[in-house]
Amino acid sequence: MSTSPRKRPASEALVAGGVVVLLIAIVGIIFFTGAGSELYPPKPATVQAKEVASLYDLVFAIAVAIFVAVEGLIIWSILRYRRRPTDVDLPPQTHGNNFVEVLWTLIPTVIVLYLFAISWQTLNSVDYTSVANGQKPDVQIHVLAGQFQWQFEYLDANGKVVATQTKPLGEGGGMAVPVGKKVYVTLSSGDVIHAWYVPRFLFKRDVIPGQTNNFEFTVDPAEVGQTFRGQCAELCGTGHNAMQFQVVAMTQADYDAWLAKLVEAANATPVPPPSGAPVLALDAKNIAYDNRALEVPANAPFVIAFKNDDPSTITHDVDLRAADGTTVVANQDPIAGGTTAQYSYPALPAGTYQFFCSVHPGVAAMTGTLTVK
Amino acid sequence: MATHALSPAAVPAYRGGLYEWLTTTDHKKIGIMYLINSFVFFLIGGIFALLVRTELAAPGIQLFTNEHVYNEAFSIHATVMIFLFIIPMLAGLGNYVVPLMIGAPDMAFPRINALSFWMLPLGGILLLAGFLTPGGAAAAGWTSYPPLSERGALASPGPGQDLWIVALILIGTSSILGGINFLVTIFKMRAPGLTLFRMPIMVWTMLVTSVLVVMATPVITSALVMLFIDRNYGGSFFLPDKGGTAVLYQNVFWFYSHPAVYVMVLPAMGVISEVLPVFSRKPLFGYKAFIFATAGIGALGFSVWAHHMFTTGAVFLPFFSLMTFLIAVPTGVKMFNWVFTLFRGQLTFSTPLIFAIGFLTMFLIGGINGAFSASVPIDFALQDTYWVVAHLHYVLFGGSVFGVFAGIYYWFPKMTGRMLSESLGKVHFVIMFIGFNLTFFPMHMLGIKGMPRRIADYASDAGWNDWNLLATIGGFMIAVSMLPFIWNVFVSLRNGKIAGDDPWEGNTLEWATSSPPPAYNFDRLPDIRSERPVFDARHGLNAGHGHAAIAAGGHGEAS
Repeated sequence: MSTSPRKRPASEALVAGGVVVLLIAIVGIIFFTGAGSELYPPKPATVQAKEVASLYDLVFAIAVAIFVAVEGLIIWSILRYRRRPTDVDLPPQTHGNNFVEVLWTLIPTVIVLYLFAISWQTLNSVDYTSVANGQKPDVQIHVLAGQFQWQFEYLDANGKVVATQTKPLGEGGGMAVPVGKKVYVTLSSGDVIHAWYVPRFLFKRDVIPGQTNNFEFTVDPAEVGQTFRGQCAELCGTGHNAMQFQVVAMTQADYDAWLAKLVEAANATPVPPPSGAPVLALDAKNIAYDNRALEVPANAPFVIAFKNDDPSTITHDVDLRAADGTTVVANQDPIAGGTTAQYSYPALPAGTYQFFCSVHPGVAAMTGTLTVK
Repeated sequence: MATHALSPAAVPAYRGGLYEWLTTTDHKKIGIMYLINSFVFFLIGGIFALLVRTELAAPGIQLFTNEHVYNEAFSIHATVMIFLFIIPMLAGLGNYVVPLMIGAPDMAFPRINALSFWMLPLGGILLLAGFLTPGGAAAAGWTSYPPLSERGALASPGPGQDLWIVALILIGTSSILGGINFLVTIFKMRAPGLTLFRMPIMVWTMLVTSVLVVMATPVITSALVMLFIDRNYGGSFFLPDKGGTAVLYQNVFWFYSHPAVYVMVLPAMGVISEVLPVFSRKPLFGYKAFIFATAGIGALGFSVWAHHMFTTGAVFLPFFSLMTFLIAVPTGVKMFNWVFTLFRGQLTFSTPLIFAIGFLTMFLIGGINGAFSASVPIDFALQDTYWVVAHLHYVLFGGSVFGVFAGIYYWFPKMTGRMLSESLGKVHFVIMFIGFNLTFFPMHMLGIKGMPRRIADYASDAGWNDWNLLATIGGFMIAVSMLPFIWNVFVSLRNGKIAGDDPWEGNTLEWATSSPPPAYNFDRLPDIRSERPVFDARHGLNAGHGHAAIAAGGHGEAS
């Protein structure tokens, strides 16, 4: 029953030592070089997010304690119980111990039940909405998600749409909200599943076709003037990463003015196209123009009769830029799927231009060449 | 040493090399083919991972011509790694060792075993054939949520998605057949004396895994068939504008795919539960508690699926949150049992033990960071961000893949009769361990700071540049770590040290036969009076208990 002592190459000590040093180094780097803050959520910007952040802090502290205790036990066992040349006889053949098994079943059970309880408590306030509790929210916004853009419909107290923000992010789009007010959001999608996600709100909610989700948030008044980055968090196709938006936090007065401007723009009668101007027809379907080469005479205004044949949540427009691809010559407001628009363009000197959809700037099928001669 | 001579086995007529491999029904040859096939797909999946990491190293679209190709790359990466690498790799290890560990001459259904194997390369080829079709391979993620995975022009119009469905149904069928085969083998073919509570933990984990496979895989098959009908025959199961329900797919999909996580990790836990006792010269601490914990994970695993769907607004949140928290308890029991197996042992740091310790340290992180997502409000922040990518890789790479390599270094001498080089093995471990942490630890930071998964590009001012670059460097380190491993296998096959029957002083029956074992596995079997028959034969039944010797199977003794 005895075995001869093994020869112990130095590499074994090096490897075991290296693993320990590496682990210590990783923990050290994380907690002592400021990278530790990288493991914390960004500064929470809503009343709800603050609760989630404090829950996170608590869970994180418990997690670090468990991590250090168990990894420490592993490393200590590795260092302490290496087999030595003198270890010929077997170590004690411990098969187990029912007392410690019960102990390390019960203690973790208590810990996870506690974590569940505090999580549920926080969930109840994060998931709270005025509407579900028979109260009126201060602001109601209906978010429409479509490949690959967000639209924001502002509703009045009766749930009637007063104005819709259709502009893409690059042209001043996004949603504005007043700080300190209860903002109730409903979500719907006309194509695939998307997710409304703002990292600094520590919140996301899926936007699922055939199902209207909702949630409520109140932006911290200290965040007035801030802009929060948001983007789609559920894979929705080719342009998923470009499906971004922003939330702008305003004072109530600024917000009222912003909304009034949006309402005014929505109610404005469109400037009639100059009579006699040539009219080109252009359709968009399946996120593609039906014609990618247009031609107009030089030095004369012209009109594009544009038709969006995509689902209602997908918006398109027809903007113009110079051949260099950067200087924008004409900028139109996007229209929703199933609608038409008469876009008027100024007189252009002869040359080659690009027309493109500002909602889908990265899609090749939504870029064409306009020849002016 | 009491042994029992077995009646001489009928030796099949000799068949030529390639013909033998193509037609074999020997579980050992099929097991080795599983391992080689899975490793090839590991390399293929790894190449896709490198493409993804290269694209994400810096903001902007550099490597791929457009975002669609990027979506194909990560979709195929995950599908290959899950369905063609981890699951079959562990099934292959089980295929090789389970009959040996229970003293059986082969699996219960050798021909079905061969069929299970040959469906895998076929499924893999069908999946990858998507790249040759117009529109490319499946690009809706490995989860392929409809409506994005439906036929529509703005969803997934090409046949690549159909090939993905067919490939997964084939691979799933292979899993079901394999699972039934394992169940029958384990219940009906154990050697005399090998009672259920004397089975090696590896056999127990394969048993629980097989129950999960047999119960859960038909469920995902139903989701895949419904999606196929939607796509090809005008169905509307998941199309809301025609009366279907998009979220239905997610429920059915995760009803399989969450238990599948345990299919991917339980056998790896079995591997390290064999390795840790052998290299610490002690029995597994709390053998029965470990078995109950394994069964508990298997049972609870069926009641947590909707924690993947917390943000859908269509889930009863408290129930799934509670069950998800609870599953940490049996997992914690296992962790403590492993650590206390090392405790007061005599550890020999051979490569299998080093990989097993790699599993312990990394799987611990994968368990802890998973608890964050069990908390629903925190999950609202973390869901579908890189945090989840970090979590799943700490479980499936830090856990399963380290476990797989522990198993390969442990059983390679049994399979081939030759030892792998220890020094190359340690080089492999060190590079892979560092590369793994460099790749996946920064993803926690990316996730909590708001980087969603599955995006081809990100803004350069989002604050994600440095961590992404670090993760890419780590990814290439993992790739480099495969070179010493492959070199090790090739060199050791020709020139490795002769292993002998029992190079590690093992505990279980596979070490009681020659290396490699004969076609019929055993000439003689030792007495089986505990879960460590070969240990008992080497040291005597009461070894190591001093004067307070106890009878075999006397668990629960404190010393």
